[in-house]
Amino acid sequence: MEFPNIFWGVIGWMIFWAVVGSVITRRLYLHKDLDTSNAAFVGSMLGAAMGPIGLAALWLKTPELTNRLLVWPAVGAVTLIAAAFAFADPSNNCVANGSFVASQISNGIILGIIYGFMALGLTLIFSILGIVSFAHGEFYMIGGMVAYFVTTVWFPGIYPIVGILAACLVTFALGAAFERMFLTPMYDGKIERPVEYGILVTFGLAFTLQYFIQATVGANPVKARRFFDFPRLRLPTAEDPWLIKTSRGNMELFDTISISNPRFVAAVACVLVLLALLYFLHRTWTGKALRAVSLDREAAAIAGINPDRMNMLAFALGGMIAALAGSLLVQAFSWLPQVGAIPAMRSFVIVVLGGLGSLPGAFLGGIIVGLVEATGTGCVPDAQKAASYIPAYGMIVLTLTLLLRPTGLFGRRFSGGAHGKF
Amino acid sequence: MRKIIVSVAAIAAVATLSFSGTAALAAKCPIKIGGLAPLSAPGAVGGGEAMRDAMLFAERDINAAGGVLGCDVKVVIADTEGLPEKASAIMEKLITQDGVVAVGGAYHSSVGVASKDVANNRKIPVVFAETWNDTITGDKQKYIFRIAPLSSWASATLWKAALLVPNIKKVAILTENTDYGIPAAEETTRGLKSGGVEAVTFGVDIGTQDYSGIVERIKAGKPDYIIVLATGEAGYNFAQQAADAGIGPQDIPFQAGQVALESKAWWENVPDGNMAFVQRIGTPVNLWNKKALKLNEDYKAKTGKGAIESYALEAYDSISILAQAINEAESTDGAKIVEALENISHEGTLGRIYFPYGTKKDPSADGKGDEWWHQWPDPAMTMIQYQKEGQNSTESPIVWPDAYKTGPAIYVKK
Repeated sequence: MEFPNIFWGVIGWMIFWAVVGSVITRRLYLHKDLDTSNAAFVGSMLGAAMGPIGLAALWLKTPELTNRLLVWPAVGAVTLIAAAFAFADPSNNCVANGSFVASQISNGIILGIIYGFMALGLTLIFSILGIVSFAHGEFYMIGGMVAYFVTTVWFPGIYPIVGILAACLVTFALGAAFERMFLTPMYDGKIERPVEYGILVTFGLAFTLQYFIQATVGANPVKARRFFDFPRLRLPTAEDPWLIKTSRGNMELFDTISISNPRFVAAVACVLVLLALLYFLHRTWTGKALRAVSLDREAAAIAGINPDRMNMLAFALGGMIAALAGSLLVQAFSWLPQVGAIPAMRSFVIVVLGGLGSLPGAFLGGIIVGLVEATGTGCVPDAQKAASYIPAYGMIVLTLTLLLRPTGLFGRRFSGGAHGKF
Repeated sequence: MRKIIVSVAAIAAVATLSFSGTAALAAKCPIKIGGLAPLSAPGAVGGGEAMRDAMLFAERDINAAGGVLGCDVKVVIADTEGLPEKASAIMEKLITQDGVVAVGGAYHSSVGVASKDVANNRKIPVVFAETWNDTITGDKQKYIFRIAPLSSWASATLWKAALLVPNIKKVAILTENTDYGIPAAEETTRGLKSGGVEAVTFGVDIGTQDYSGIVERIKAGKPDYIIVLATGEAGYNFAQQAADAGIGPQDIPFQAGQVALESKAWWENVPDGNMAFVQRIGTPVNLWNKKALKLNEDYKAKTGKGAIESYALEAYDSISILAQAINEAESTDGAKIVEALENISHEGTLGRIYFPYGTKKDPSADGKGDEWWHQWPDPAMTMIQYQKEGQNSTESPIVWPDAYKTGPAIYVKK
């Protein structure tokens, strides 16, 4: 960084006014008997983005804190950080190389879609059962293993979709069986602390699955072949393919954005499955029943929905979503029994960031984490440390969010009976 | 009465002496030797399994040759997971619970660095097989020996081979943040700088899966050569993701991590990994002695692999040299084994192994650094290159150094 004083000076200024804005705005809204749920967040973001001027205007008018007031100051704060960084380090790739920036953003979005998709399963389970499944990473791992064995070991050359479907079937059945055998005691009052029991029993499942796979399959990294190669494209002309240029494993758009084949396939599949999932949840009776249980179990039961059956469906579906992500990524990453640990941890961050139990929150949280990781990896000036901090980037965003908005981005303020809403 | 007392005392004395004499020779049977290997992620599991198999072959061969001190040898395999915190605990367990009298094996430097103090404090000799970090022997601990090369020697192979790349000006180094990766990257950077080549190092945590951001960053820097200093599946993940992004082994000269020597796993995990350069420690295949050739045949028959890897040879030798030392010491006492190791001349699969510096002669007497303490001075280091898809690492041509060269290097350039 050429002028670190500029950057850190701006950051210091922003932090100071963010803290002042957060504390005073909340107290002021409380004093005036106004809704304080977003006061700390808006006060801090406005303070960070506009300093005393923005805060003075807010404190004088004390307007209702609408979504617009939530979003624009946050965008302003991010813009100010970016501007300070650009002035402080003008030769950084993130400032001087537009092609690099475009590639990193596209990378972040693609990764974010995959992260968010995996987190969807976790949030689905939480919103219905009220437990955080610590076996989520293991479902992801098993999905990849099943897809690998089906497409590469047992039936090499078979359509990859068969492997993906097999992964979904196996994990759906596994999730349903596990829920019936181990989670049902939570519902009938046999367990004194059902939530803690749920966490511990899924923790046990995680260990069992991981070591079972290690004992039976081994701990050597395996990988499925690319599901398909990109066709060779050169558009608009073969001589000057500025629009799109593909090789077997990579696609280049506008001579700038580079997307690898396995990620592209995984991201597109995730979006398609997400749309199917939304259709299922909003247009089918079972999906509506799931949503009803997530809102109010008792009311749903009175309406003729069997909440216990929905519990089983949610756990099986949640695990299956993780497995689907795994089966799509086994062509991108080397696969091991321990491969689920990092994605599972990231999923926990995403669901808390997005708001426990919120599907849009999980998806948006995934994209935010993906973008923050890509930005951090690409822009931190010290190359030796940029990638070492990958796990920390998401944690920083999570910490800030929890500090200023403890319910997460889309989390409900109060939880009564149910644990979230889609 | 007095006669009886004297007789009983004499019998007791004779019995005690004979028992103690037997104990000195045979100790407790079987004699246990620890074998460290990473058998779970995030360690380099492929390497660990190869080392485990080789150490068990060593156990078999030692016992077939009559064992040690009249006893069979039992190699107690312990999984380090490639993690320093695990390594200390495992070393403690091997010594205190399993009752090993010496320890061999070990793949990751961080494991060596973390576990050596435990062994040294408990006076248990260790012959590290594949841990490179200079400080492992550089701390001049009485009970610590090594038959792997020093990190500084291994790094010299990297930068000297890199300087041969035509028109090389800029190198990107991807290193794991461990006791192996960090010093190796620093030494390689210094060496490259001495040749007028700029190097940028990218550090990653062991177990990292996604490299898309770092790959883009490396790509933007337009390097002429990429060096990977990452063990475990990280080495595979980075290589294939770089290949997908157009900066893989078939796009620019690319030196893969040592995990690439596991040919079957390499081709499965990095299908676009042809043309990769890989550093290989150990005598080239064409110079293998009878012992190495015999072990290779046994290993191939057991594992179904194309050939035995160099770290497996090191692991085999680390156990067999300890067995010889225990025999020569005529004791399982740690200090006596150390004395025997300092005087040893062991004909191993890697060649003649000996330790010229130690308590008898300090490295400084010959103007050498502390890292030469209990260090085998002759491990061979070469650079091979995969030049055909699906090729076995032992069949790939050695492209550096000239003394071992079996074929020319191919430098790809888009």
